Amino acid sequence: MVFLASPKIESKAAVEWPAPPSAVALAWRDLAEGIAKIWMWPALALQDVKLRYRGSVLGPFWMTISMMVMVAGMGVVYSQLFRMEIGTYLPFLAVGLIVWQFIAGMITEGCETFLREAAVIQQVRIPFSIHAYRSVFRNLVVLAHSLLIIPFGIVIFSIPVGWRLWEVVPALLVLSINGVWISILLGMVSARFRDVPPIMASLLQALFFLTPIIWPLSALKEWQIIATANPFFAAVDVLRAPLIGVPTADSSWAILLLTTSIGCLVSFALFARFRSRIAYWI
Amino acid sequence: MPSLRLRDVSVEFPIYSGSSRSLKKLLFNTTTQGNLARDARDRITVQALTGVNLDIEHGDRLAIIGANGAGKSTLLKVLAGIYAPTHGQVHANGRISALLTASVGFNPDATGRENIINRGMYMDVRPRDMRARIDEIAEFTELGYYIDMPVRTYSSGMMIRLCFAVATSMQPEILLMDEWLAAGDAGFLSKARRRMEEFVSVSSILVLASHSLPLLAEWCNRAILLEHGRIVGAGDIAEVAACYEARQG
Repeated sequence: MVFLASPKIESKAAVEWPAPPSAVALAWRDLAEGIAKIWMWPALALQDVKLRYRGSVLGPFWMTISMMVMVAGMGVVYSQLFRMEIGTYLPFLAVGLIVWQFIAGMITEGCETFLREAAVIQQVRIPFSIHAYRSVFRNLVVLAHSLLIIPFGIVIFSIPVGWRLWEVVPALLVLSINGVWISILLGMVSARFRDVPPIMASLLQALFFLTPIIWPLSALKEWQIIATANPFFAAVDVLRAPLIGVPTADSSWAILLLTTSIGCLVSFALFARFRSRIAYWI
Repeated sequence: MPSLRLRDVSVEFPIYSGSSRSLKKLLFNTTTQGNLARDARDRITVQALTGVNLDIEHGDRLAIIGANGAGKSTLLKVLAGIYAPTHGQVHANGRISALLTASVGFNPDATGRENIINRGMYMDVRPRDMRARIDEIAEFTELGYYIDMPVRTYSSGMMIRLCFAVATSMQPEILLMDEWLAAGDAGFLSKARRRMEEFVSVSSILVLASHSLPLLAEWCNRAILLEHGRIVGAGDIAEVAACYEARQG
């Protein structure tokens, strides 16, 4: 092989080469730089929602309305089935479905975190965490549209809410943090293993029936532990209970916070290990 | 001073066949062991770059010459920080703008205007600053009312116009370009060329990958020759170009 050596381009030993930062430091920096770009991901998420409903008259309210129709129909039948007051059952079902849609949305879209932004990841270098924040924020925007029916529900069913309504704030915060680790974790796993999104979709369907959303926890009688130990119940419960004016189950916050901590740790460890591979996978 | 340095950089691409993309197969096979496991995990890798050392300094106009598949685009992506090298170190100093392909992650459902804002955000320009430039960009593209249409309705030529106009509306210190501009029509090309000249004259470093020697000779002052992911020649553009032609010959 010919090598036309050129003094300008030849390696210069004199240039100082600092030790490269560790993978953990890089992952941490990625998360922090992503957060700092707070002018970016909410704007992108809002645009996503806008584009999704472009050309539709009702926009994101379309989902709210279709859900209300479903709730009205189911409410009549299932309140009889579970021998519950329709005035108690309807808010329980409606809010439960809204919260579930939010959680399930973060998980299914979490699988697409990096895959759907493949074109961007292949072209420009921006923190990977941006894509996760964007996905979570997009789901928060959709949730906000659905939650608009809550004030009407509170008035119609004269739900005894008071200061407890503020519990919604920490609940949303913790659920969003969960959304971030889930998006990063599932986003990476799905980028590497393309059969994960459909697996998650069917898992979620099973979880929907295993979690007290259309059926009340009390229907389990002495076996309530099999539902309260389910982190998905905890996640739904912390947001649903204050909105329908019932007490949050004793274990919910503890289970949710435990899930959050474990999830964040696992997700961060994998993010640090495989962050640099994401661009190769997609 | 902006600079780009590579030390002993290698890039290996894993090629995932249908089965190694499957989590089910991976789990199933690791529990049963045997030959199947080897099949599912048997990743074929492509060595795209091997032991690349490179120092690009302020004022360099570097041409990356090489045949198809020599590793030009991969090298650009490593320089842009998109691919972390599987081996070796990259040290980049300065604001980088990479024009790698014409689509640059445009959202096909968003309008030209919305995509201008998005692209700005990806390049760290805030929407409000970008809005100030949007009319100037729209004018340069000569897209007319198409600027308010979804990008999926654009022809590839229109896409290139938009991409070029947005990318050159900011002033990077380091400009990395892959050869794709040639796809524009003649009228736009001469306009683009003028803009490129201004653009290049203010950026500190230009790296241009192409196999069109006249184009490279016009823009660049030094060159490297890539073959099978290795730098086999480096030096003055004319020297390296001659070497490339001789080896092609």
